[in-house]
Amino acid sequence: MITLACYNIKGGVGKTATAVNLAYLAALGGARTLLWDLDPQGAASFCYRVKPHVKGGSSGLLRRKRKLEAAIKATDYPRLDLLPADFSYRNMDLLLQRQRKPGTRLRKLIKPLRRDYDYLFLDCPPGLTLVSENILAAADALLLPTIPTPLSLRTLEQLAAFCADEAYDGLRLLPFFSLVDRRKHLQREIVARPDGLLKKPALGSIPYASEVEQMGLRRAPLETYGHASAAAAAYRELWSRLQDALAMP
Amino acid sequence: MCNATFYPLSPGDSLTRWRDRLHQAGGLVADPVQQLRLHFYDSFDGRLLRAGRILEQEQGPDGAELRLRACVSQQVEAALPLNGPMPRFASLLAAGELRRRLQEHLAPRALLPLAGVRLRRYNLRAVDDEGKTRVWVQIESLSLLRPGARARLLSKRLCVQPLRGYAKAAQRIISRLENDHGLRPREEDWCALVLDAAGNHPLHSRPAPVVSLSARMRADLAARRVLQAQFATMQAQEQGLIANLDSEFLHDFRIALRRSRSLLLAMKQLFPPSVLGRFKDDFAWLSAVTGKARDLDVYLLNFPGYRRAIPAGLRVGLEPLRALLQSRQQQTYAEQLVVALHSRRYRAFKQRWQRYLDSPLARRPTAPEAAERLDVVARRRSWRRYRRILRQGAKIDAGSPAEDLHSLRKACKKLRYLLEAFASLYPPDDIQAVIKALKKLQKNLGEIQDLEVQLVSLKGFAMEIRRRGEYNASTAAAVDALLEVLRRRRSQAREDFDARFRRFANGHNQALFRRLLKPGAAQVPV
Repeated sequence: MITLACYNIKGGVGKTATAVNLAYLAALGGARTLLWDLDPQGAASFCYRVKPHVKGGSSGLLRRKRKLEAAIKATDYPRLDLLPADFSYRNMDLLLQRQRKPGTRLRKLIKPLRRDYDYLFLDCPPGLTLVSENILAAADALLLPTIPTPLSLRTLEQLAAFCADEAYDGLRLLPFFSLVDRRKHLQREIVARPDGLLKKPALGSIPYASEVEQMGLRRAPLETYGHASAAAAAYRELWSRLQDALAMP
Repeated sequence: MCNATFYPLSPGDSLTRWRDRLHQAGGLVADPVQQLRLHFYDSFDGRLLRAGRILEQEQGPDGAELRLRACVSQQVEAALPLNGPMPRFASLLAAGELRRRLQEHLAPRALLPLAGVRLRRYNLRAVDDEGKTRVWVQIESLSLLRPGARARLLSKRLCVQPLRGYAKAAQRIISRLENDHGLRPREEDWCALVLDAAGNHPLHSRPAPVVSLSARMRADLAARRVLQAQFATMQAQEQGLIANLDSEFLHDFRIALRRSRSLLLAMKQLFPPSVLGRFKDDFAWLSAVTGKARDLDVYLLNFPGYRRAIPAGLRVGLEPLRALLQSRQQQTYAEQLVVALHSRRYRAFKQRWQRYLDSPLARRPTAPEAAERLDVVARRRSWRRYRRILRQGAKIDAGSPAEDLHSLRKACKKLRYLLEAFASLYPPDDIQAVIKALKKLQKNLGEIQDLEVQLVSLKGFAMEIRRRGEYNASTAAAVDALLEVLRRRRSQAREDFDARFRRFANGHNQALFRRLLKPGAAQVPV
């Protein structure tokens, strides 16, 4: 099982859209896929029409009173399951602090899922908290949607420095441009001349598009209603390049 | 995915009426009708079915998907969208769970189409207030596709497919179907139903004919019965072989061919010289025209082993070799094998051979041993073969040419076929023991000969790649590394020969062979 965390310290950069669409494309391609909505806002659960509720909440999961598998729900799409969000996830930091080895709790929790799924996507909340550290320890790769603005790039560098300092074993940082607004000169410039982690071979870029925003209205992944749109094509390209990148040692 | 519950419907039931009933009274959301085609695949020897599974290709308006399904529970274990034609081997599928599982079951065997059906399906869903599907209900009819004829209805059913995390919703539907509509669940193996209806179930096909032999029967009659069975095996492989479906068809064809040829030569005292002379040539010709294709099949089957034998960094260099082998294999099948099997000579041979095998036995046969008892002739011939093997093997030393070992290998094969053809004449434990001893020697001799041939052929293929201009540094390094590994293996196998032969010819085995085969020795009657 490959664990892919859609993560960024900043909020509103397209993490949920990435997780929802890539998880759908993975399942469409034949992979057994699980999406864990770790964000207490529950946007990914909403997009898949699953009620944002886990029996026992984050406390039940972290104390292993309830098995993680018991909380999994099938989506309306073959091979794609979802672990829904729960409002109690907002307290996860506090609960983790009370655990032994709080930094690797999540990794232990997902271990039993390895034989059931080919991909686990984590839709992560923003920030750099103990939950984030757990995500960095559990993931094989971080998918980092990054808006092409100077401040977003600065945040990306901060995250890269943090990961290097903490030395997460084998964790790969895979950034890509997100919410790219072609009307803005500065964004066009940054995308045309990527620097640092975003240098080629890049995973691609996702345009700022109303079709993506409609996911909240239609409550379905973009591919199911907007296959012909440029944004859907961009997600397909992203998924294809991501698979190539993951196949490389 | 959770296990589905199936309810058989009677052939007269209308799918539309069931849909309306569940939609209007049951409050289920009905989707438009689906018209699908399913094609079932397995290896020629039913490896998936043996493991309780089947590979199905579903062809719908939105494209095709391959699914590995459990036959009884009908649970899908792995799936993959299929963009393009159906591949013949699992290794040609995109990497993933389906390929991994298929390779685990099939190893190098090809995927063969077994049957096709038309599926008409109504999907109904129970949805919650979020618009989320909580359970699927499918009403389906299945009809067998028949070339040149109308599809034949096989079965109708209703299926409740629960979704993970929503067991209660499924339970509510199940209760309603059973209590209100009087339906009773029953598991039905649709796969077996379809394959049996198509007359193409690999595990339900007719077993190989048992050759009925007795010790006291005339030896020439017994030989004809064995040859008849081998001929039937050869003919059964023809279609698969001509279509180049799986290397196993040619393999089985050649085994039956070699057994027939060996029997003719090893028991030539049973056949009139005219028969022997004519058919010996025919079998030699068939052996020659099928040999090259079999060699290429073997190289392709060995290819994963070639890759593993060299360092990981060099493996990519072997790809031009694989491409050459594949194109040569296809070319040889099309230009040599299929041409030979469609030839007038092959047709004439089959007619003559069948006529001879069916012809009445001569009352006073001209062949010297034809009218003798089977057990006497079988022992005499086997004993002579065995003694010849001992003499030939004892002369071989480290300096002997490869041809001597090849000749010994052929002698061993002839003895093995004789023993196996008439195995029912001997006590089962003893015959198994001598065959086992012989097999061990044959394994070593086979390895030596195969490596000799492979070394020569692979050098030839490397030259061919060079002529095509595809020979680069990476291919050169990979081929050199492979040849080196094969040379080392050949030396090792040659070194092992001495010990293997000594073990085969030791006192214990000699006593066993003598007791079992030597004419006049005290034998236990069967």
